[in-house]
Amino acid sequence: MISNAISLLIAIPLLGAVISFFAGAKAKFVALIASLIPLALSLQMYMEFDKTSKIMQFVESYDWVPSIGVKYTLGVDGIGFPLVLLSTIVTVLVIIYSWGETKKPNQYFALLLLNEVGVLGVFTALDFFLFYIFWEIVLIPMYFLIGAWGGPRKDYAAIKFFIYTHVASLVMLLAIFALYFTYQMPDGSRTFDMLTLLAATADKTIFPTSLLNIIFAGLLLGFLVKMPAFPFHTWLPDAHVEAPTAGSVVLAALLLKMGGYGLFRVILPMLPSVDKAFVTIIAIIAVISIIYGAFMALAQKDIKKLVAYSSVSHMGFVMLGAVAFTWMSVTGAMFQQFSHGIITCVLFMSAGTIQHTVGTRVIADLGGLADRMPKFAVLMMAGFMASLGLPGMSGFVAEFMVLTGSFATLPVYTMIVVLLSIATTAAYHLWAMQKAMFGPILKKYMEVRDPHSYELFSMAMIIVLSLLFGLQPGLMTDMMGTAATQLMEPVMTLTQMGVI
Amino acid sequence: MEFSHYAPLWGEALLTILAVLIVLLGSLMKNSGKLMGYLSAAGLVAALGLVASNLTAKPALFFFDTISVDALSQFFKAVFLMVSLLVVIASLSKYTGKGADEYFALLLFATVGMMVVSSSVDIVTLFVGFELASLATYALAAFDRSKKNLEAAVKYFIFGSVASAFMLFGFSLLYGMAGSTKLADIAAASLANFGPATLVALLFVIVGFGFKMALVPFHMWAPDTYEGAPPLVSALLAAGSKKMGFAAAFRVILIALVALRMEWYLAFAILAALTMTLGNLAACWQNNVRRILAYSSIAQAGYIAIGFVVVGAAYGAAPVNVLNLGPLRADQLGIAGALLLILGHALMKTGAFIGTALVASNVAKGSESDPDDISNYAGLAKRAPITAFCMLIFMFALAGIPPTAGFVGKFVLFSSAIYSGLVWLAVLAILNSALSLVYYLRIISYMYLKESTGPKMVEQKGYVVALVLALIGVVGIGVFPEQFINWALQAAAVLLPQ
Repeated sequence: MISNAISLLIAIPLLGAVISFFAGAKAKFVALIASLIPLALSLQMYMEFDKTSKIMQFVESYDWVPSIGVKYTLGVDGIGFPLVLLSTIVTVLVIIYSWGETKKPNQYFALLLLNEVGVLGVFTALDFFLFYIFWEIVLIPMYFLIGAWGGPRKDYAAIKFFIYTHVASLVMLLAIFALYFTYQMPDGSRTFDMLTLLAATADKTIFPTSLLNIIFAGLLLGFLVKMPAFPFHTWLPDAHVEAPTAGSVVLAALLLKMGGYGLFRVILPMLPSVDKAFVTIIAIIAVISIIYGAFMALAQKDIKKLVAYSSVSHMGFVMLGAVAFTWMSVTGAMFQQFSHGIITCVLFMSAGTIQHTVGTRVIADLGGLADRMPKFAVLMMAGFMASLGLPGMSGFVAEFMVLTGSFATLPVYTMIVVLLSIATTAAYHLWAMQKAMFGPILKKYMEVRDPHSYELFSMAMIIVLSLLFGLQPGLMTDMMGTAATQLMEPVMTLTQMGVI
Repeated sequence: MEFSHYAPLWGEALLTILAVLIVLLGSLMKNSGKLMGYLSAAGLVAALGLVASNLTAKPALFFFDTISVDALSQFFKAVFLMVSLLVVIASLSKYTGKGADEYFALLLFATVGMMVVSSSVDIVTLFVGFELASLATYALAAFDRSKKNLEAAVKYFIFGSVASAFMLFGFSLLYGMAGSTKLADIAAASLANFGPATLVALLFVIVGFGFKMALVPFHMWAPDTYEGAPPLVSALLAAGSKKMGFAAAFRVILIALVALRMEWYLAFAILAALTMTLGNLAACWQNNVRRILAYSSIAQAGYIAIGFVVVGAAYGAAPVNVLNLGPLRADQLGIAGALLLILGHALMKTGAFIGTALVASNVAKGSESDPDDISNYAGLAKRAPITAFCMLIFMFALAGIPPTAGFVGKFVLFSSAIYSGLVWLAVLAILNSALSLVYYLRIISYMYLKESTGPKMVEQKGYVVALVLALIGVVGIGVFPEQFINWALQAAAVLLPQ
């Protein structure tokens, strides 16, 4: 057992970021090493992780600011640990994919590592104060990645991203303060400890429903904007279109997961105690996000924007599964987070590779690329198939679990989703694929070649992972299932909560 | 009476003697600017050491009970000495030639004035200290003798004099009512003879201090002065002499006029809400970095003024378990929060203004363009990496992002507002903090995202040392706030004894 494993996990990329920043052209080697060590460490932790245990593992806790009750507490369970793995995997692959970056590479790789620090912190912090700090830290590298390496409208996109998510985080902060100032521990002291505060929300004498509703709404807004859910999603397409490829990848694969993580860590434990209308509201938002995202994707001309909207749609499944609140749907929603995290990488990498080999991402201007870039076409095809939910890949398992699980408690919503989104999702994936990659090759693209091997390697690794988890979902779902059981414990189903 | 009896005041004595000595030496020796700078820095370090060795002094009275040395006075003295020290260190790279002796002497006199104000428990002593600091800074504001300097100094002088007049008139009414100039006597008298005269006195005092603290609507002078004065002097004005207004207002309003708290409670609630909101809004539309900083410092004054509102709302309230500090009174927490914000803001603002000074010193002399225009900050990360990085942290700290000093102060202060039932004010303040990020981010995006337009800048040693010291302070308080919170609470207890 490694002591202080999580602190190490966070400290190594941080150190790596500092060294990369001063490493000049060698930054990519530093970055690769600084991301491989956490990957190895997290795999080691996976071996040691007790998948049947309902308590937090690898816990570290130190006093930080005792006078206001802030502790440095880190720990992982079945909710957080899969996302920790996701972060370490994606960061390594995105660094490999960006091997050819020539514009200010030292800063570029430093920011990617700093981003890893932030997301790992969010997924492991068990103190609201610490959680909020990491939550905000994540904004900084992404702001700079979009603002300095972005496309033509990068200034607008960067500032929109920052303000949008920062305002949402502030609302969340207000809600955290409300929790903090309402709850007093038995000895009269205050605490920011997440598990303590969340457990206390079940006590109606401390948190009357009227107060808890407001707190809940504030926290929910913070997470929904990050996910992003309709109608708070408008920052996402702008940010994605302007962001550099690596920025888009970590944005979709890791940053959106912070919102989903918040749903499981914070929102679900509170759900039984708040007004029942919230279940309906979240379910409606989830359904709209799924369908609206799919139809918007269908209407996009830019392949990257298409992928961005597909994220909105796929993250809707996370919301639906979470709020349906059955064991199957919650486990499926957690798995959807992980699965979408890896699959979306290959989609954004495809869009990025098309952009810099062909020079455009407009689907109508593309055609027949498979002829000239066969290896790339295979990988892209596999990625798109994974994303549309081909059986055998992880996306299928996740969405299947969500829909099956949700049908038990929210049958109407689930039917609407099945009817309107499955075919649309398949349609936009296949249509984009066919138009861009197949058909007769356009004359102007005769010189196009397969991209660099490091780009292909990153994409191939993701396909392998998607297959691995599609065929052996138990590798992840075992621990997620334990966490779901833990979440279900206070109240078993929506029926018992009196919603339906 | 022994010499050692006055040990707690040796710092003031040392700086006064040093200031006189510098004027004398300066007239005898040619080109001694550098030496004078180092002498001043050494004197300030020594004075800071003396204050630091006696941080939580047991209250002791001197000079016929007009000067008090206590935890509160030591807190403010430490703040003023730090600000002056940072400004002097930065000035070592700028004021080296002719006239440097006058500059450093004036700076030391201003510091002594501020120190006297922070110790005064008598309105006449307080006024004398105030004028000593003000007169010295009026001269400093015009020190580079450019047209802009003169305009700034005249504006500052006129508004400052009017403010002093208001203050003095208020003081005269207080004296007439109480028959004494001591704050303790005035407090007793205002409790006994509450009447229209006391109210008028309160009004004049609030207006007078309102100008000094630059609360909206008494703030108009601040942006023009901070923009026009030499940049390093702006640092002293915004971080030092403005905080002196708070030092004085805390004593006069919270001790002498506490009987009228129902009256000033409402006034300060309105002033605080107006000041932070208008300050932040106005800052969004500025293109001159020093004006942005000026409006941001107005907004910060609005936050700090929440301290008064909290005291008004929760004066003498029974102790409750506040945060994890044990049983505490919300009003004490409010003052402690205001003090922490004063400390943090002094460091961040000094640092930020020193940063602008460095940029301005690199903009070609005689160029028509405004040296503080935000366009000069484009690509600063490349052109002056250390300055840009320090400025980045100062901007985040000013916005109140953890873990910085700005966050600690705001957290304690806004918590106290919540504890005293002023949830609306706390929410407004937090929303304002979010709004402020808009203009701080604008400066950051110029520094880090815009392509650089000019050559690499020279980062003079003095400026860099001062910037880094301020940075260490800002981050240090943010990461290890424990000691500072306790210190501020002890200082607050002086104003609001059990």
